[in-house]
Amino acid sequence: MKDRYYAGFMRDMPAWMQNFRHLRKPLFAFLVDVLALVYTWTIVSFIYNTYAHGVASYTTLPWWLMLIVAVEGAALWENFGVSVGMKLLGIRVARADAGPPGVLSRLVRFLVWHVSGLPLIGYILTKEGLAWHDLASGLGVVSHEDVETRRLPWYRQSWSLAVTFVLLTTVIAAFLVTRVDWHALITNAGKTANIWKAFLSPDWSLLGDGFQLLLVTVFMAFMATLFGVIVAVPLSFLAARNLSQGVVGRTVYIIVRTIMSLTRSIEPIIWAIIFVVWVRVGAFPGVMALLVHSIADLTKLYSERLESIDPGPVEAIRATGGTKLQVVLYGIIPQIINPYLSFTLYRWDINVRMATIIGLVGGGGIGQRLMQYTRVWQWSQASMMMFLIMLVVWVMDYSSSKLRARLM
Amino acid sequence: MAKKPKKLRSARRDALLKGFDLLRPRVFAFVLDWAAWGYIAYAAMYLLNQYWYTWYVDWYGTLTLPTWGWPIVVLGTLELAILLHAFGHGIGMSLFGTRLVTTDIDYPTRRQRWIRFLWMHASLVMLPLTLLRTGTDGAAVHDRRSGTRMRAWKDVKDELPPRKPRAWIRTQSGIMTLVLIGVTFWLGWEITEIDLGMLFSRAGMSARIWKDLVNPDFVHFFQPDPTLGQSIVQGLIESIFIALLATLMGGIVAFPLSFLGARNIMGFSPVGWLVYAVMRAFFNVFRSIESILWAVVFAVWVGFGPFAGVLALTLHTIAALGKLFSEQVEGIDPGPLEAIASTGGRRVDVVLFGVIPQIVPSYLAFTLYRWDINIRMATVIALVGGGGIGRILFFYKNQVGFLSNAWNQVGAVIIAIVAVVWLLDYISGRVREKII
Amino acid sequence: MDHLLTVESLTKVYARGEVLALDNMSFSVEKGEFLVLIGLSGSGKSTLLRCINRLIEPTAGTVTFDGIDVTQASPRELRRVRRRMAMIFQHFNLVRRSTVLTNVLSGKLGYMSPWASAAHKFPRADIDRAMANLERVGIPEQAYKRADELSGGQQQRVGIARALMQKPDMLMADEPVSALDPATSHSVMQYLEVMNQEDGVTVMASLHFLGLARRYGTRILALKDGQIVYEGLPSDIDEARFREIYGEEAEEVEVR
Repeated sequence: MKDRYYAGFMRDMPAWMQNFRHLRKPLFAFLVDVLALVYTWTIVSFIYNTYAHGVASYTTLPWWLMLIVAVEGAALWENFGVSVGMKLLGIRVARADAGPPGVLSRLVRFLVWHVSGLPLIGYILTKEGLAWHDLASGLGVVSHEDVETRRLPWYRQSWSLAVTFVLLTTVIAAFLVTRVDWHALITNAGKTANIWKAFLSPDWSLLGDGFQLLLVTVFMAFMATLFGVIVAVPLSFLAARNLSQGVVGRTVYIIVRTIMSLTRSIEPIIWAIIFVVWVRVGAFPGVMALLVHSIADLTKLYSERLESIDPGPVEAIRATGGTKLQVVLYGIIPQIINPYLSFTLYRWDINVRMATIIGLVGGGGIGQRLMQYTRVWQWSQASMMMFLIMLVVWVMDYSSSKLRARLM
Repeated sequence: MAKKPKKLRSARRDALLKGFDLLRPRVFAFVLDWAAWGYIAYAAMYLLNQYWYTWYVDWYGTLTLPTWGWPIVVLGTLELAILLHAFGHGIGMSLFGTRLVTTDIDYPTRRQRWIRFLWMHASLVMLPLTLLRTGTDGAAVHDRRSGTRMRAWKDVKDELPPRKPRAWIRTQSGIMTLVLIGVTFWLGWEITEIDLGMLFSRAGMSARIWKDLVNPDFVHFFQPDPTLGQSIVQGLIESIFIALLATLMGGIVAFPLSFLGARNIMGFSPVGWLVYAVMRAFFNVFRSIESILWAVVFAVWVGFGPFAGVLALTLHTIAALGKLFSEQVEGIDPGPLEAIASTGGRRVDVVLFGVIPQIVPSYLAFTLYRWDINIRMATVIALVGGGGIGRILFFYKNQVGFLSNAWNQVGAVIIAIVAVVWLLDYISGRVREKII
Repeated sequence: MDHLLTVESLTKVYARGEVLALDNMSFSVEKGEFLVLIGLSGSGKSTLLRCINRLIEPTAGTVTFDGIDVTQASPRELRRVRRRMAMIFQHFNLVRRSTVLTNVLSGKLGYMSPWASAAHKFPRADIDRAMANLERVGIPEQAYKRADELSGGQQQRVGIARALMQKPDMLMADEPVSALDPATSHSVMQYLEVMNQEDGVTVMASLHFLGLARRYGTRILALKDGQIVYEGLPSDIDEARFREIYGEEAEEVEVR
């Protein structure tokens, strides 16, 4: 029974440490606000610079000045309304007797905050979550549910206006960064006319060739999926929070989850680059690249499903005196076979799509041939390949969704 | 869209309709099983070629059959398919939900199965007549002679006497599935030329690459590389914005289009059906081709650069989101729609007040899901001339052999990509939780 | 001093001291008793039953079953003890996708070697006994159906058949009839009574309805806020006691 006995019924943290629990939310809200203001400033100055000076640069002020403005702005915003950070964390500034805070007390709080809140001492040297700037102004930080306020429409709340402004400016900046040029799109349309003509008359003589390449592509996806399942199924048991008990279990869980998460973030194409250098160009590195990514994705899907199983049958089998293995075999596995199969089919579908393009980096299959044709602008041959890709992906999609519907 | 049936007595008409209903799964099941055997035959031929005739055959292995070989293969597989249809519960039958039972709903005996098997030959010879008979009566000659019928599983499930079910591994569909997986595995191993030997023998060389990859050189993280004109951070920002624009524009365009692709909104007039069909076809076609392939075309159209990437991703996003959205619209609860229509609302009102509130959360969730995918695609779309961090990645990869720290810089780029993608994944996962 | 089960100072604390589920409970159970636990939801009945076979780890206290200290038992000893204690649940806890027969046979898992159970190789004798148990609870024809195709009452009977497979010394029932209608409730309780009187199994059942408790129990233990507030014969619970247990506004409801 080791040390899982918790002898005390009371929290045994010292008082000053408890105050830091109250610090967490206002601190995070403040950080979010500062970041939001810095971001807004950067975006706005970028847009201004691009239009006014034709230069794409990100800011017009030295960074320390920007930081001061952001910090001051955030503090001002938080004291005179509900800022984005406060809305996100669900807190607001309110009076102890739940009346609307007056302008004077808000100002007092803002000014005193520079002395007590900014260097954080004000939070340690006081009690019950009220820092100096709170005591001096008679206001405190409470969570949203505790205060009843009128629901103002969205265009009168500062945080929603701020979010809208940020979104709009971000979109404008995006248009500039990605150099969107509708003009070019329209005027160059004539240039692409022969591409479209070629697309509508694919080169049928390549049908046999294309089918063989398609075969390779589909098999690439199959092998990657099969091996991926074999590795991911046992791995998923290690990566499920409800099945990892004890210190060893938790460590393994964290390690597996992290590695899988990071591996998932790297597209198979990038893996393919590495593998193409490792072994020669062809379908094999494509299989390896897809395999690595499949393992990571399948482990995630499988383990998430494991975490949401019905605990009832597991409890029942434990209660009859079964071993861990028997609990897994009789309580867990019957529940997860169908969902696992469904995820496997889903992954196969995705792998087929990926396999069609992994040829672009030398991964073999139909993608490689397509890339060769487009490089030399042989559009009608390319369109034949595209047509075949469309065909196989559509068939895979259709049959996998039908199968998955039957499984569930 | 049922055709108007002839005026028959209702019992006869029911039997007729039931017969036709059942004909389709029966035929499909048989064809599927036959095709499975054909596939096994092809694999056998290919592997034989591979192992015994490797020198005579080109890379993919042509079927070197003499002309009299083909009919034998076809007839052989047909024979096997018939045999397994009479004796057991194959893959086709499980998938299409049919089962062989006697006329008084019991399990067929061996003798009945043999009779069925033999008479099926006759049925196949007179195929069109058989189909007609089966469609009208539910019973072809092999059915009647053996006293068995092929019925839908859900109809007979409760009436069959209880019997211990066989473990899946020992049923025909189980064994066939395992055989097919095994054959495909073997075939795939050959076709994709998996060569573990090469993996290990060249491991030494690759170890150098891995060593460099995990020793990233962040020299051009903030400072732009003069040859490229961009730093890693700038490339990342470009990719993020590419994905952002594509998702936004794709989502906005897909929103109205999805209503045109939803059966329950469009299916009230012939014109509506046509629009629906066209819309659905459009979604399917443009979904099947990954965005990278479209980027090739757009790179030619508007030139290399991030704009081409944006256009390619947007096109793919419109199709993918359009399909997901229209499936959502088709799956809504008709109750509130009825309520609004009954108060006298027009179609527009029904859509605005009945449909839209039901689908907004899942629309947002799908858009965020698409954003995840677009970010990943945006990192590699530079391969074909899109912009973004992929351009930097491929540039350094091509510098291998010219630059001493090429792999180190590649490692730096990869780490940057992983960090960004992972972070955005995490954030969007949290936001999705909040929405749903 | 021949108690089958002794519980001493059992305490269970959740959430770092903020939730006290069981508060220093002590009682004992004789062999052959039909002990009924009553109390409001959240009074600790489920937690108590689960602490006895350590599905939940108690924070403090001792549980002794037939001379064996359950709270200090090693994993192997614990499994052996669990084999002798069967349990049935409010939501039946059957494996929905498996057949009824497999569910019943899983009661024997504690007695089987890991390899045999991995291969689903149940001995012939066990299969026959499982069918016999299904006949005893009146549903032999459902043996090969999937567990989730049965009604609630039938599923609970499968749970009872599973418990019978263990040939237990004690049966714990965690609100076995709360999810069933009155007629089915009586039917299930009668099976428990038969197990108690004919097979000599000691039963501990937690129930909501006092009427059922009076009808089937030989002794009643009433819980409130994790403590025992009444221990005695069912007939001795009068109005005053009732309000003590259930609170001021409670009214008794008849389940006929």
